[in-house]
Amino acid sequence: MSAGHRGRMLPYILLSPLVVFIGALSFVPTADTTVEAFFRVNPLDPPSKFVGFGNFRALFADSVITTSWVNTAAYVVIGVVLSVLFGTAIAVALKRRFRWRGVILALVILPWALPAVVEAVIWNWIYDPTFGVANSALHSAHLIGGYHVWLGLDRWLTIALIEIVQVWQITPLSALVILAALQSVPLDLYEAARVDGAGPVQSFWRISLPMIRPALAVCTVEALVLSLNIFDQVYILNGIAPLGSSVMLQTYVTAFENLNFGGGYALSLLMTLATALLSVAALALLYRRPEAV
Amino acid sequence: MKNLGTVRRAAALVLSAALVTLAAACGSGNSGGSSSAVAASGSSNSITVDVAYPAPPAALLDQFTKQTGIKVNWVNIGWDDLQTKITAAMTANTYFADVADVDWSKVGEYQKTGWFYPLNKYFNVASLSADMPQLNTFRSNNELMGVPFDSSFLVTTVNTKDFAKAGITTMPTTLAGFTTALQKVGKANGIASPLDIQFATAEGLSTCWYQMTAAFGGQVLTAQDAPAFTSPSSPGYQAMSWMVDAYKSGLVPKGNINTTDYQGFTTEQAKNRTAAALCDYSGSVASIYNVPSSSSVVNQTEYIPTPGASAVGLNVANPDGIGIPKTAKNVAAAVKFINWFTSTQNQAIWAGLNGPKDVVSTFPLPARLSSFNLMAKAGNIEQAAQLEAILKAHAQAPFPNGAPSWYVQFSAAVQTNIHEAAAGQETIPQAVSAIAAEVSQLAA
Repeated sequence: MSAGHRGRMLPYILLSPLVVFIGALSFVPTADTTVEAFFRVNPLDPPSKFVGFGNFRALFADSVITTSWVNTAAYVVIGVVLSVLFGTAIAVALKRRFRWRGVILALVILPWALPAVVEAVIWNWIYDPTFGVANSALHSAHLIGGYHVWLGLDRWLTIALIEIVQVWQITPLSALVILAALQSVPLDLYEAARVDGAGPVQSFWRISLPMIRPALAVCTVEALVLSLNIFDQVYILNGIAPLGSSVMLQTYVTAFENLNFGGGYALSLLMTLATALLSVAALALLYRRPEAV
Repeated sequence: MKNLGTVRRAAALVLSAALVTLAAACGSGNSGGSSSAVAASGSSNSITVDVAYPAPPAALLDQFTKQTGIKVNWVNIGWDDLQTKITAAMTANTYFADVADVDWSKVGEYQKTGWFYPLNKYFNVASLSADMPQLNTFRSNNELMGVPFDSSFLVTTVNTKDFAKAGITTMPTTLAGFTTALQKVGKANGIASPLDIQFATAEGLSTCWYQMTAAFGGQVLTAQDAPAFTSPSSPGYQAMSWMVDAYKSGLVPKGNINTTDYQGFTTEQAKNRTAAALCDYSGSVASIYNVPSSSSVVNQTEYIPTPGASAVGLNVANPDGIGIPKTAKNVAAAVKFINWFTSTQNQAIWAGLNGPKDVVSTFPLPARLSSFNLMAKAGNIEQAAQLEAILKAHAQAPFPNGAPSWYVQFSAAVQTNIHEAAAGQETIPQAVSAIAAEVSQLAA
């Protein structure tokens, strides 16, 4: 084997362990799941049997599942909009150098570093109707007359409050990504704009925003994937009540509680397709390299 | 075109990430559920015990090892996680433990799937029944799927100090009398909502309905696993109406719509925000209310006979049990361990016969009457006579034929619909119809 040939093979040799690893742990189970989605797989009703689209039809006929799709759509809209908006606002605020900036940056990252389960438990106490901070703070500020039951009574309020917990967790990463993008914008551009008479708002809209568009696209997809797959926060704050249930929660319930693995496979497959399609759509819509703007 | 290429590459990456998510969500599930044992018994001198319970003191486990030569690897895992672990392991037909938790609600499921060994050939069922009043909870189609290792049942607890302040020293025996008494207690003590009933969509709400149905003198399913709660005069229907009315009328705190059972005991009853609980655990007085570090009602709370429709009502038994998964590697050692763990002497020790040093944390009450007697004689059990009377005469299995194989879906329908009825999202007839429809579908 010539040195040139060995050189050409080297990248493939180096990549092969990763390819095998991903293949074994991801694509093989995925292929298996895709096939099983078309079978009735239920230990309580053996043996497994090909049912075509039967699992999918059953899922769409189940009002709890269809409710969970609508709920998940609401989680996504709230999660994507708020995390990208807050992430951008935090990044813009932290772009300028000021005293204690490092400390504030560390504090901003903190929610991202905590496990979702821990955060959900903390917020469960915050929302507690009897002794939660939410009630006492709002009551002290005379914003509410009496203590409220925040979760479990009103569908949209419950969804919004659950998603706020996730926004609290994922916004720090968005802020960091956008901050990094903002810091890589050449200062000459701002200087030229200032000379041309542009103010801070104009500079943000005309220079910063177009230049950080790839970062915004990444943050949007990140928020989209996480919101679509929301589970821990819903399970801890809402239990399995259909009121705020998400598709991922229903996937768990269908497969591991009801032992309807065929239905669980089908729901997972639908969620994968939804995640992939929405992510590609978001990227196609938002992703532009700065020089192409 | 350059941008499009970038988008395509990014899209491929996203697709890969999504597929990883899918794989994580569903894993490599096996379609089988085959029940053949992976390894023959007796292949090792150690066993793994997977339960949602803390281990007994190490010295006592060491004694077992000395007596039998069997080393015990105790894995204490949260109840929910353990159920998922059992399902995943047994579906994949892999070993995870030699002895594992058999919850009373899973008995029908395990019998039908064949995930656990029927224990009839390892234990004398008739002899055990005489000493373990709750053994029947673990029988399905005459197969013993687990052995109870405690005697948990749902009870009524009251704060006697609050009741005395309202002038009530003789406890009411009917639910009507109990309601009136609670209203007086609330006024006398400045407690707006004196009754703790949990309404979160969790298992505690389902079991509370079974308990209230027992208090009204019935069960929610017939011996043929058909709905027994659709008639407005049935105990199940009346129980649901009573619970929802109690919530809507303010007898139960509004915040309880999202409160689970254990949460309610520790944050409401133990902090004197409520004065009574109708679906409390047997053992709560010692393990929750009389613990000074976390309770403000020490020595104030007592068990009382559960008020019923016209006289003292029944109590639902929900004990914890252990059994042997079909994939166990050491069945003989597992049987020896179950015998040791549920023996008369040890059951009493876990509950406090030798004092606090040997107690298994959160252990409610022994499964055996003989253990009860040991403790009563030693004088180290709270209200021993009261609890023993309930255990002997009033504690009944939640279902006449054991928990059905579709119990999990049934319970989900129960908790969801009662929760929604309490939250005003549906009426009692709608909730009853929805649960009955689910039963018909599941049983078909």
